[in-house]
Amino acid sequence: MIFDEFFDVVVIGGGHAGCEAASAAARLGSNTALVTINLDLIGQMSCNPAIGGIAKGHLVREIDALGGIMGRVIDRTGIQFRLLNRSRGPAVQSPRAQADRSLYRTEMRAVLEHTPNLQLRQGMVSDLLVLKDRIAGVSMQDGRQIGAKAVVIAAGTFLNGLVHTGRTTYTAGRAGEPASIELAEALKRMGFPVGRLKTGTPPRLDGRTIDWDAFEPQSADEKPVPFSFSTDEIQQPQIRCFIGYTSDKLHDAIRRNLDESPLYSGKIKGVGPRYCPSIEDKVVKFAEKDRHQLFLEPEGHNTNEVYLNGFSTSLPAAMQQDLVRMIRGLEEVRIIRPGYAIEYDFVDPRELGPDLQCHRVPGLFHAGQVNGTTGYEEAACQGLIAGMNAALTVQGRESLTLRREESYIGVLVDDLIRQGVDEPYRIFTSRAEYRLALRHDNADERLSKYGREVGLLGNQEWERFHQRRDRIAKVKKALVSERLRSSEPAYAAVRNLIGELPESISLAELAKRSGVETEHIQQLLPAALRTETTREDLEFALADNLYSGYIKTQEAAISRLNSHDKTPIPSSLNFRGMSGLSHEMIERLERVRPQTFGQARTIPGMTPAALSTLLVSVTVPN
Amino acid sequence: MDTIVAVATPPGRSAIAVIRVSGPQSLDITRALVHDDSFTPEPTHVVLKDLKTEDDEVLDQALITFFKSPHSFTGEDMVEISCHGSPVTVRKLLDRIQQLDARFAGPGEFTLRACRNGKMNLSQAEAIRDLINARTTAAAQQATRQLKGELSSALSVSKQQLINIIVKLESALEFVEDDLPHLQRAAVLDELAILKSTIDSLAATYQTGHLLRDGIRVAFVGRPNVGKSSLFNRLLSRDRAIVTELPGTTRDSLTESIAINGIPVTLTDTAGIREAGDRIEAIGVERTHRAMADADLLVVVIDASTEVQEEDREVIERASNSRHVVAFNKSDLPAAAENNDTVNGSKVVHVSAVTGAGLSDLSAAILEPFGTVDSESVGLLVTDSRHYDLLVRAVASLEESASLLKANASEELVLVGLHNALSYLGEITGETTTDEILGRIFSTFCIGK
Repeated sequence: MIFDEFFDVVVIGGGHAGCEAASAAARLGSNTALVTINLDLIGQMSCNPAIGGIAKGHLVREIDALGGIMGRVIDRTGIQFRLLNRSRGPAVQSPRAQADRSLYRTEMRAVLEHTPNLQLRQGMVSDLLVLKDRIAGVSMQDGRQIGAKAVVIAAGTFLNGLVHTGRTTYTAGRAGEPASIELAEALKRMGFPVGRLKTGTPPRLDGRTIDWDAFEPQSADEKPVPFSFSTDEIQQPQIRCFIGYTSDKLHDAIRRNLDESPLYSGKIKGVGPRYCPSIEDKVVKFAEKDRHQLFLEPEGHNTNEVYLNGFSTSLPAAMQQDLVRMIRGLEEVRIIRPGYAIEYDFVDPRELGPDLQCHRVPGLFHAGQVNGTTGYEEAACQGLIAGMNAALTVQGRESLTLRREESYIGVLVDDLIRQGVDEPYRIFTSRAEYRLALRHDNADERLSKYGREVGLLGNQEWERFHQRRDRIAKVKKALVSERLRSSEPAYAAVRNLIGELPESISLAELAKRSGVETEHIQQLLPAALRTETTREDLEFALADNLYSGYIKTQEAAISRLNSHDKTPIPSSLNFRGMSGLSHEMIERLERVRPQTFGQARTIPGMTPAALSTLLVSVTVPN
Repeated sequence: MDTIVAVATPPGRSAIAVIRVSGPQSLDITRALVHDDSFTPEPTHVVLKDLKTEDDEVLDQALITFFKSPHSFTGEDMVEISCHGSPVTVRKLLDRIQQLDARFAGPGEFTLRACRNGKMNLSQAEAIRDLINARTTAAAQQATRQLKGELSSALSVSKQQLINIIVKLESALEFVEDDLPHLQRAAVLDELAILKSTIDSLAATYQTGHLLRDGIRVAFVGRPNVGKSSLFNRLLSRDRAIVTELPGTTRDSLTESIAINGIPVTLTDTAGIREAGDRIEAIGVERTHRAMADADLLVVVIDASTEVQEEDREVIERASNSRHVVAFNKSDLPAAAENNDTVNGSKVVHVSAVTGAGLSDLSAAILEPFGTVDSESVGLLVTDSRHYDLLVRAVASLEESASLLKANASEELVLVGLHNALSYLGEITGETTTDEILGRIFSTFCIGK
């Protein structure tokens, strides 16, 4: 085959998955190209101009701890930072930031352009080249052939994308951009099981036509918590968002016009996310609610465009303005861009290994919405895993995969490749069995070692990590060794605050008592330590302290669960003879031929049901 | 999957013996047995057939019932052969069937196959085991109930209530930006209390339930010639033990089973305790000590017609560390002096092995320390120690969550105990996946900022 160009790794798509993938592969030393339909839209936020949120914020911090780029880019371009769940425990707190959409894009492109070994190419990929059952490169619509040892598909909603507004449909990857139809067909031709999903986006409003006083303002945190472990301070001026509500009148109008909605007329076949319903869905499925909450989110410092969060719709574009005007404060509003729904192809992620490489075509990796996920953060972390492993594969190095018990990324990838998806997959903290151990602030402690080992995490970041770890260790030691004694003047004050108190109590024990706040502990630290300890470091140490008992119990539970791991599976055991096993499970077992139950348990894609059938066969004597 | 065969009826001579064959070869094997390749009995209909050897010799005339997969106990093709209950015939038939390529089934293998084929869940399989081993009608009834999944369905209500609570707390955590109702801690605490007491009272039935399964072991002890064997026989309603007026007649321990209020009770008659006269008696006394150690309850028998002797006192002294009842036997004879001082703090009954007077008092006294209820008249009982253990753990986890909730702890900590409780209940009723919980959240609350 004659190629016009040749790379180690080619990444298809310049969205959040594609950017991380290309950056990771290039920084690991692989000669990398990022191919995208429009170079000006690299890092585009197709929907909500925000990053993070509960569990999603955890993902971004994990990406950063491994050496990814999303955290740093949003820290430089975020215009409203908020730490969510502040009133709750540290394990479920998570940062969220609204971005200046245009700044984010520009910054992301600049980061990629300054990455050695990385080249940007504009064009649409129309086919995948396979040679001797391995990926060999891509064909472009304009006739170019680009050779590659590994390819990452991160095509987002572009695969066979079909936009719906009312009864009108047209092919598009996003509104105003062409769909990628030939590539989608190529995937089907190669035998990949392909399904259809749906997502939607709300209308964007002209900020000059909004009566802002009718809405309740929501401010950024006074002291923003950054996403990246290497960010010292957020520099962007912070803005306010606004909260409003739908009305009865609007609900009635939507109900009257449901036959105009492709969701309700049956035109849309793809499955949409239940946790991000369209306004039509909200009104129909939660008819008893007399109002639904809406957020007005300014899209940036230098634009009037405002994102109407909570009003995703596929009703006719012509009708949307009249509907939106039924919202208090939006009586005079003008819509700049109408909302729409989009259907797109995804490939069953059970085709993938934990490195996100396809079993079917070695060297081909899938990341982001092509795997059935939704969300920028979900996409980015898959991009990082896929891009990193694409480079490692090309370099003949061992792949890097993460486990459920150590990361949200591990949970997400494991869920995808084991269970597949039947609606767009989003991360939640409840998906992580061990969420108390997976805090946003300890992502570095959990994952930076891997980023360093593989070579993504720079010297400076590694040094920072060590310094932080040492500082925190010192505080943790002091919490255990320092005691509050009845002879001390502070004792009486503390007892007044929380009631009963023993003659002498360690700060670690005291901190667990209800009513004791971080400030109190800070005041009780020895003077020297008190002045040098930041609030952030102390909070980290206290979080470890708060959860330590639970985490020990959890670890015991994990080892109990694994107690059958050493049970041997006789080599004579015939999996086909076990009628409780599905064909798919039998194939997986026969491929690996595990010698112990523990090995069987770690085979990707094994269902709990199949495992218990297997366990019965190997533990119950015949 | 190979084909297995086993005799389904107890060993020994009987009018009928049932041989069960399960697996894909079941019908082919039957065809070979009846020498008819086209033999295709209608499923679940009974057919009378001659069963023959390879050489066309008739082995037996038997009733054959075919069960077609999946409508059989194991979910596989099955054949049940009801043949004549002679051990010789059964042996010959089994040999022949094994020749025809069926394997002798391992213990519980039919049930295991039923389990694998989704015909029953683990708790139902355990119930079958109990049903087979059930020693009294009430125990069989309990096992049948569990077989029908009653424990599972009794718990499924609790499980749903627990999921509802989890949903409230999880959604408060996950969807902080959505317009959700505020978590009402007091209301959740009330719900938790109700849930806890439901599971608790189910767990409490194990007190009676495990006795149904495991029974109570009772040993009759006392000095020689106080009438232990007579009482033993009287309770059994037959002359099992040899009774004479000679002290030391019972040389060896004797064990028999009866049911009291539906609860299986194993009675052990023991040799009288005294300085042994010979070696045989010495061994008998030693066995008595062993029986005493093994028993759940001791019945100390005292002859009420004579003065309380030093040996009686010693036996009572020895029994006082265990559950025991003091039975003053021979109440039909004129009583000697009142002996209340010797039985300080012990439960006392007056009986007569001769007339049968006071026997129902004795029965009641045997059951009393176990806090049992009349098991034939109550509802579902937990009989399995594994189930009991899971329920107790679930209650403990719920208690932990409740106290955290009361102390205003953050939801993620409260949820640890709730999820643990859910997985304990799940081991009885089947597991609940995260997707089910998320699904419940999305259908309960309008999520979607």
